[in-house]
Amino acid sequence: MRGKIIVIGMICFLFLLGAPYAIAKDPVKVGVISVLSGPLAVVGKGEPDAIKMLIEGYGSLLGEKVELVIKDHAYSPGLAVERAKELYEKDKVDVIIGCPNSAAALGVSDQAAKNKKLFISTDAGTCDLIARNPYTIKWNYNDYMLTTTVGLWGAENLGKRWYTITSDYAWGHDLLKYFTAALKKKGGEHVGNDMVAVGTADYSPYILKAAKANPDVLVLLNVGKDAVNSTKAAVEYGLKKKAKIVHALLFEVDIKGAGVDIFEGDYTAASWNWVVPIPGTRKFADQFYERYGDRPIFMAAGGYSAALQYLEAVKRAGTKEQVPVIKALLNHTFKDIFANPGFVRAEDQLQLAKSYLLKVKKASEVKEKEDYFEIIGTVPAEEANPPLGFFGRKIGGF
Amino acid sequence: MEALGILSFIRNRWVVFLLIPLFISLPFLTPHHSLASEMLIFAIFAMGYDILFGYTGLLSFGHAIFFGAGAYTSGLILIKLQAPLFVGLLGGIFVSLMIALIIGFLSVRIKGIYFVMVTLAFCQMFYFIALKWSGLTGGDNGLHGVPRPSIGPIHLDSEIRLYYLVLMLFVLCLLLALRIVRSPFGRALQSLKSNEDRAKSIGFNTNHFKLISFLISAFFGALAGGLYALHLNFVPLETLNIMTSGDVVIMSIIGGIGTLYGPIFGAMLLVYLKNLLSAWTEQWNFIMGILFITSVLTLRRGILVEVKQRLFHKR
Amino acid sequence: MDIQFIFIQLFNGLALGSFYILLSLGLTIIFGMLGVVNFAHGALYMLGAYCGYTLVQVCSGNFWMAVILSPLIVGFIGMVMESTLLRKLYDLPHFYNLLLTFGLMIFIEELIQIIYSPMGKPFNTPKELLGSIDLGFMLFPKYRLLILGVTTLLAIGIWFFLVKTKLGAIIRAGTDDSEMVDALGIDISKIFTLVFGMGAGLAGLAGVLAAPLQNIFPYMGMGILTETFVVVIIGGMGSIFGSILGGIIVGELITMGVIFWPPLANTLIYIFMAAVLLLRPRGLFGRVKFFE
Repeated sequence: MRGKIIVIGMICFLFLLGAPYAIAKDPVKVGVISVLSGPLAVVGKGEPDAIKMLIEGYGSLLGEKVELVIKDHAYSPGLAVERAKELYEKDKVDVIIGCPNSAAALGVSDQAAKNKKLFISTDAGTCDLIARNPYTIKWNYNDYMLTTTVGLWGAENLGKRWYTITSDYAWGHDLLKYFTAALKKKGGEHVGNDMVAVGTADYSPYILKAAKANPDVLVLLNVGKDAVNSTKAAVEYGLKKKAKIVHALLFEVDIKGAGVDIFEGDYTAASWNWVVPIPGTRKFADQFYERYGDRPIFMAAGGYSAALQYLEAVKRAGTKEQVPVIKALLNHTFKDIFANPGFVRAEDQLQLAKSYLLKVKKASEVKEKEDYFEIIGTVPAEEANPPLGFFGRKIGGF
Repeated sequence: MEALGILSFIRNRWVVFLLIPLFISLPFLTPHHSLASEMLIFAIFAMGYDILFGYTGLLSFGHAIFFGAGAYTSGLILIKLQAPLFVGLLGGIFVSLMIALIIGFLSVRIKGIYFVMVTLAFCQMFYFIALKWSGLTGGDNGLHGVPRPSIGPIHLDSEIRLYYLVLMLFVLCLLLALRIVRSPFGRALQSLKSNEDRAKSIGFNTNHFKLISFLISAFFGALAGGLYALHLNFVPLETLNIMTSGDVVIMSIIGGIGTLYGPIFGAMLLVYLKNLLSAWTEQWNFIMGILFITSVLTLRRGILVEVKQRLFHKR
Repeated sequence: MDIQFIFIQLFNGLALGSFYILLSLGLTIIFGMLGVVNFAHGALYMLGAYCGYTLVQVCSGNFWMAVILSPLIVGFIGMVMESTLLRKLYDLPHFYNLLLTFGLMIFIEELIQIIYSPMGKPFNTPKELLGSIDLGFMLFPKYRLLILGVTTLLAIGIWFFLVKTKLGAIIRAGTDDSEMVDALGIDISKIFTLVFGMGAGLAGLAGVLAAPLQNIFPYMGMGILTETFVVVIIGGMGSIFGSILGGIIVGELITMGVIFWPPLANTLIYIFMAAVLLLRPRGLFGRVKFFE
């Protein structure tokens, strides 16, 4: 009896808390959408944290302190669109940065065009975001860049016979498409591919198939749990001894979760890592580490850079009006802890920078926390990224 | 005399009269306007679901199929054919009803717990089909670019205008649902729920009734799905997810099945809380889990029925 | 496609099937006895893996200790769940308990996520079991042989327990007609608790055995839960033999499906499940009684 009263009372109380609040003055407002709950929260936390760090240290812009609104979309595209609406409509942010998950980012991009406000996509990989609409700028990495980097560099340095295991959804398909194109350019041989449903726990049939094809390199076009499970199976069946392993995307969190031994010696591409030799990066990584207890990942650095360049663009334009600020961002070369240099191409609103090849260190070589990678090569920005007009899309006017 | 008659009319239905201004001003009371639309969309979904679960006693774990099919079909019609709004919605409803006819026909013959399992299996199947058929559905990326065609001179780009459209449809659905459950058909469904064998012995073709009930719930789900596509301007794959099926079950239970108003209230409450709590804490799923377990255990008849008992039947 | 390759994959299918067997055995005896469709079964599987992780990493135990203790711990948790929560709803239609277990699934997964963080946890194959044995015609990983071995022993053990022991007889009787058993003076509620505990323990065992093979994370139970439902439906709810056969069938379907019909691999088992439900709802060996 009492239990019921308490439950009902609690619910009514919760209802009362949801009252809307008034809007203050008119400072520059930055909105950030990331994944802050659920299994991917560990990966998503870094970006809002980094941007928070930036904004707190930034000082004032156009006479006011910059404000930050952070929203969680729990990796759900539906929720992401809701959050974007909230941010543009209710919180009246001037820009949204972030948004992991390609489906979510596409939805937010459409909301950006609808509301005529800027969205800088830093985390989602899909190339559908490039040259999508005048209010979307693609920052950080994209799927083409990841696999082309690995394909171009790898074909020259790792071997000629490649076997791919691909996650069977839009992201995986895109990766495969760009990878095979890059491989062909350098004369590599694609000896086989397997499409595997996301979330498959048992990769043994695929690994066995791959082993039969006798490749020089095994490419895992997957991420997260799938990357871990497929690599574990490769170790278990001895394929790791015979072929080199390349990952499309490999997070420190997964290395930590499964153990360095599983991943040692593996290769991957990235737009950034906290050990890249860019001036100021080490300081940024240390600052982040002191404050949050972890090293920043490329998503955090990318978000930091996007936010910083946005604020600088507002400063240059002298206003926070959308069109002047976007124009100030395009065709602009910049140097920060993320890209040195970085350039935003105006025709397709894509941010370009060189990409890195990373190799996972042996467990014995890991000297400090999160020190899993070493940089072993780079690919220039123009080669790694899609050429102009590659997707056949043109951005309309504002 | 006249005045007294009106007064007592109002007094008997004072709850309704209180709710009308609430619903009309809802977009201004919620943290942001589009949340109000989402609340009503799921209320429509849950309302229809209650007819199947609360009144007919069939627990389906696959109703996301109709929500998703309605959303995708409406979305595709609006994008590819540039069709008017209601054509899109009706198209979504039509396709969902076709699917419901096939699935329903096959499933309602199955008794008890197996019905739950078969709806679950179908749901997974449709999810994977949509995932694979990315040419049609956009696969994992979802279907983007769903427009909001104007109805005559009225543009719907504003979230508030969309809300009033949803509200109008919600009211129509509610009236329809009330009509259904209060009709002889509705009473037949309830007799079926309490004792199917007895209903059969009286001469009811119980499978027939179950199928119609199934179709009705699919209709509501599809309409809700179509509106959802308009609301987001896109259809995410998760509309076909088992968790979406689970969501509507949770909403109905928490609100109180078999009352129509219960699931409506449950749906609105849950959508609201999900939005509110996730802004505050990252553990709102956990809180929702606890709320659900508590509802199943204690508030067996659902929050709404308990409140009604307390406030109105002070015996 | 040579014979050796097919043999390896068939064996893999058996190893995968072993997990399904362990899980579906638990699900089926819970359903058979209590009439409860345990949606929390996947979460219990996950708990088994986390118990193993905690025992090995945090308490510095060894793998064998984890394999023995984890099922016992999860079994105990299961018994607590049954006696405190599920029991309250026995007087209501069965789907209330189904919904309760559904809620418990969410609760358990989120609780573990809060305690352990949503990140995956490492769990490596114990050194003794790394590497493969040369079976003459093929190499086979030692660890998977262990899984096959454990499952076989367990299946035989459960059969023995149910058929040859007195307690087993009571359980079988209770499955057929719990009211009668109650009327004969046997405390059926304790038996219910025990059976739920057994089912939970089996899930926990599957979890700890699966831990070295895949990443441990709070939601690892979700995927395998729906697949386990498929197994139980195909084999027949409430049938031990059905679970074993169903587990093998599904394990092989998934593994071989990957080779022969890759685009259809996932959907195949659900199509199979729907077909069984439509043509012969009680599955291969299910009892007609559970039609209710």
